[in-house]
Amino acid sequence: MSGDASTGEPSASESASPRSPATADSPIREGLRDGLRIGDGAASYHRLAVGSVAVLMATSVSVLYHVTDIVGGTGTLTALVAGTLVVGTLLARRLSPRHAALVAGGLLAVGLAGYYMSVPSAYLVAVSFGKVLADNVALLTGLSVLRMTEVGAWALGVAPALVFAPWYLVLRRRYALAVAAGGAALVFFVLSGDAGSFVTLVGTLAATAALGFGTLARRGGTPEQVDAIAVVLVTMVVLSSTVSVVPGGATSPILPGGGSGTPTVEDAFVTNQDRLSVVGSIRLSPKVRFTVEADQSAYWRVGAYDRYDGDGWIRTGDPRDYGVQQPPPGPSLEIEQTVSVEAERMDAMPAAWRPLRLTDGDRDNVRVGAGGSFDPVGSLREGETYSVVSRAPAPERRQLQTAGTDYPARVEDRYLQLPGSSADRIADRTDEITADASTPYEEAVAIERWLESNKRYSLDVDRPDGNIAESFIFDMEQGYCTYYATSMVTMLRSQGVPARFVVGYTPGQQVAEDEWVVRGLDSHAWVEAYFPGVGWVQFDPTPGGPRESAENEQVEQAREGNVSNVDTDESEDGTWTPSTTEMPDIGEANDLTTQSGENGTTDSSVNATLAGGRGQLEPVGAGLDDGNVEPVTSARTDATTASKADSDDGGLPLGLPSREQTVLGAIALVGLLAAARRTGALGRAQRAVWLRWQPRRDPEADVERAFARLEGLLADEHRERDPGETPRQYLSAMAIRGDLDDRAERVGRIYERVRYAGEVEDELAEEAVSLVDELVAERRGLGGR
Amino acid sequence: MTEANSTPRRTDASPDPLPVEEAANVAERIVENVEEVIVGHHDVTEQIVTAILARGHLLLDDVPGVGKTMLARSLARSIDCEFTRVQFTPDLLPTDVTGVNVFDEKSREFEFRPGPVFGNVVLADEINRAPPKTQSALLEAMEETQVTVDGETYELDQPFTVIATQNDVEADRTFELPVAEVDRFTKRLALGYPSPEDEAEVLRRMSGRHPIEELEPVTTGDEVVRARETAARVTAEEPIRAYVTRLANYTRDHADLGVSPRGSIALLRTAQARAVLDAREYVVPDDVQAEAESVLAHRVRSGTETGGRSGEALIAEALDAVPVE
Repeated sequence: MSGDASTGEPSASESASPRSPATADSPIREGLRDGLRIGDGAASYHRLAVGSVAVLMATSVSVLYHVTDIVGGTGTLTALVAGTLVVGTLLARRLSPRHAALVAGGLLAVGLAGYYMSVPSAYLVAVSFGKVLADNVALLTGLSVLRMTEVGAWALGVAPALVFAPWYLVLRRRYALAVAAGGAALVFFVLSGDAGSFVTLVGTLAATAALGFGTLARRGGTPEQVDAIAVVLVTMVVLSSTVSVVPGGATSPILPGGGSGTPTVEDAFVTNQDRLSVVGSIRLSPKVRFTVEADQSAYWRVGAYDRYDGDGWIRTGDPRDYGVQQPPPGPSLEIEQTVSVEAERMDAMPAAWRPLRLTDGDRDNVRVGAGGSFDPVGSLREGETYSVVSRAPAPERRQLQTAGTDYPARVEDRYLQLPGSSADRIADRTDEITADASTPYEEAVAIERWLESNKRYSLDVDRPDGNIAESFIFDMEQGYCTYYATSMVTMLRSQGVPARFVVGYTPGQQVAEDEWVVRGLDSHAWVEAYFPGVGWVQFDPTPGGPRESAENEQVEQAREGNVSNVDTDESEDGTWTPSTTEMPDIGEANDLTTQSGENGTTDSSVNATLAGGRGQLEPVGAGLDDGNVEPVTSARTDATTASKADSDDGGLPLGLPSREQTVLGAIALVGLLAAARRTGALGRAQRAVWLRWQPRRDPEADVERAFARLEGLLADEHRERDPGETPRQYLSAMAIRGDLDDRAERVGRIYERVRYAGEVEDELAEEAVSLVDELVAERRGLGGR
Repeated sequence: MTEANSTPRRTDASPDPLPVEEAANVAERIVENVEEVIVGHHDVTEQIVTAILARGHLLLDDVPGVGKTMLARSLARSIDCEFTRVQFTPDLLPTDVTGVNVFDEKSREFEFRPGPVFGNVVLADEINRAPPKTQSALLEAMEETQVTVDGETYELDQPFTVIATQNDVEADRTFELPVAEVDRFTKRLALGYPSPEDEAEVLRRMSGRHPIEELEPVTTGDEVVRARETAARVTAEEPIRAYVTRLANYTRDHADLGVSPRGSIALLRTAQARAVLDAREYVVPDDVQAEAESVLAHRVRSGTETGGRSGEALIAEALDAVPVE
């Protein structure tokens, strides 16, 4: 029977379904124009377009949701969006487009006004048209909205307009305008870098689908055109995953914030940008970046980050002009350091915490970053030097213990934020870990110790999906400093201890009593926690030993490979050994390792930090490793054993695909199916299977299916049954044409008895199915069409 | 006209159905027997038998002299039933068909004298030549299987089958049957001229004694009534009912006047009878198709806007186009 005449479906799939009288006539033909039929379900093109626009809106809303998840307000956002959807639905029929535009504009104006009301008054004083314009240009050129101090209020302000406009338009069947409105919002987030490539891709696909279905809804369409849309969509998916220039967010090569290939730690954070994305595996650059002349070693700090969004770190607020900074409130040690830049260019001014003033160098080229660090306005060039006087907090342990929790409001506001979606889980785990701790300091030490002893150090990391800290705390077994520091900050914050994420360099290789050579591989991330009356105190949860081993190995390899700029004149001669201290087995290890190696306990580590004389100003517990961490010789072997362990334990050498991969894979599959259907390959394959394989259900369905298979077999050999031809007539016509035997006639009789006499018996079904199986096997074999 | 049976049997209780094989056998015997007399019209004979089993009435559209009367008589003879004949003329009165009350001088009472409609096989010859009032008297009898005279109702004998003929040759002197009345005939059939071979055969048989004289009954009226019950009990499953409905709908969509629900019912009943002919206890689509043209064609009217096709052409088209499922 001719499929096109009756239902417009391919004949194979049609005759596969039990014939029902309802599928015979004109209503279906009309339905074909207005909607897509999939199986028994039907969806109008309008609904499909509405669904696509909803997905498009969801991409923008997901960005806002992500924002509110980080800074709070998800409940309000959800209620706002839901409310706007309801209002939009109600108004869609009643409101004229002109009034709707006013409503949308009004919503946006009210929302933005609310945002400006919420920002600190200090900012409002400075606000001007030029400033607002400059801010918006900055947003559109890759400045994440998360850098806005009051981003939560902003998100809630723009959400209603962003939802109302496309929703109203699509319900009015103005598909192109709806896509334009929804797309504009998404484009804004793409330009600001907040929409990741996956969200962007989904949004783009949804916009395309909405336009396609919208056109079909206006003009009417056929299943072939729906297939064409699916093919276009899958082409977009395939192209975007094979061509690297996806219009997209932070991970795209065309936008700042990331690079292709394996990044270095420095790429990730020492370029001193306002956003730091946590990446997967990294490598270490052995090249010398700068040398420091100072009376004490310290962690050379580059900058700090306050806002954590699950993927990485964001520095909110703007840098200020240079000015002399206040020393920390508590006892402190003065460090004077002179830094000579050895790299070609450097965008940071590493210095010990806390830098107070610049004693040598171009002050006009210096600003004070939001995290309290000195930042160069323009890059520093090779050979440039600068001198900074810093005062490092040097509290007694007792002071830290008794610091209390009376945090200043400005610290609490900025440094206790956590993404709402993971806060509870992390807090619960941290509660367990810090069960015995009674003060913030003890909590910090407990967290640090737990991280050092429970996670292995490795540079070879598969970047987890979702929240970095949550994954590292609960699932991952290994990571590097970024993971350790991120986790510790979130854990501290979950306990109500203000903390921030700090990047910079470890002291480096000591080449003389007062000189250190710092290489790219010394770049590091650690933690600062705030103690009232003391200031920001450094903690380093990364196990020191494994990290340094990995770093030293890199230097050795680079030396052997004659990589340029690995050494300065001094560092080639080896590490300087303090003559006053007995140091067994110095070797290639730098002083940090050997020094901290002796300080195995928490108590003494603080003492070590505070040690006078030539003592080091290093984070609390920087060397808590040796006693607690299983010795790992190098990152490389560590990674190898770890991956072995993975494959042994898991049994699955391949990990499960990520959510994004699953979704994109599903879209691709749908598209491929559509393409196969378009070319008829799917129909043929489906038919071949259908002819040979009969699942059993109930006798009636079995017999009907068996007869349909017989018909299919005869249709391939001779012709299909005409619409008005009875089974009996068809079989006798076929018997005249070919070598049809009694078995076919018997199947026809059984079919009549089941279908027209209502005799439903298992034996009949059994007989019919096995007869048809025989016939198919004889005439077609297992191969063939 | 002949005398009529004056003691109609009551048929309130439904009779025992014959087993389907026996019913098939009865039908087959009737067909064979009628063919002793009527040569070369096997299909029409079967159609008539299924119409009788379906409790239907027939309209024969034909030129004179092709054996309509012989057909009716041989049929009546075969089933051992009363045969009556009414020649419809312009001056025929309704009571000439139904019967009349006559005042009996002796008993001083009115006595009902049944008309020719009180037969088992009633041949209504040239029905379109009588005025509508007389036609409707017959039609009431067909529809109700009863006759009302002077307020008194008389049940008709079973089996009761009217075979009406129309004369289309002299159309100007006729009262054309209204559509509503044509609809009451289960089937319209045409014998048509015999083929030359068949006509030669007819002539050969007529040379001696007329074969009708030698025709023996092959069954009884009771058996026919029981075979009808068999047909009424033949299974017609939902797919068949749906198919009949689709056919009817097709004619409604493609003609000025489509098949009425009465037509659909008639088609289903005759299809049941057709199944009995095949000794089958259920209807298959083939049964429906075999009966469709004769049952439906005379019920549709197709004007110029809907193609102006004959009823037969439209039904053939419907059978091609409407999917069998």
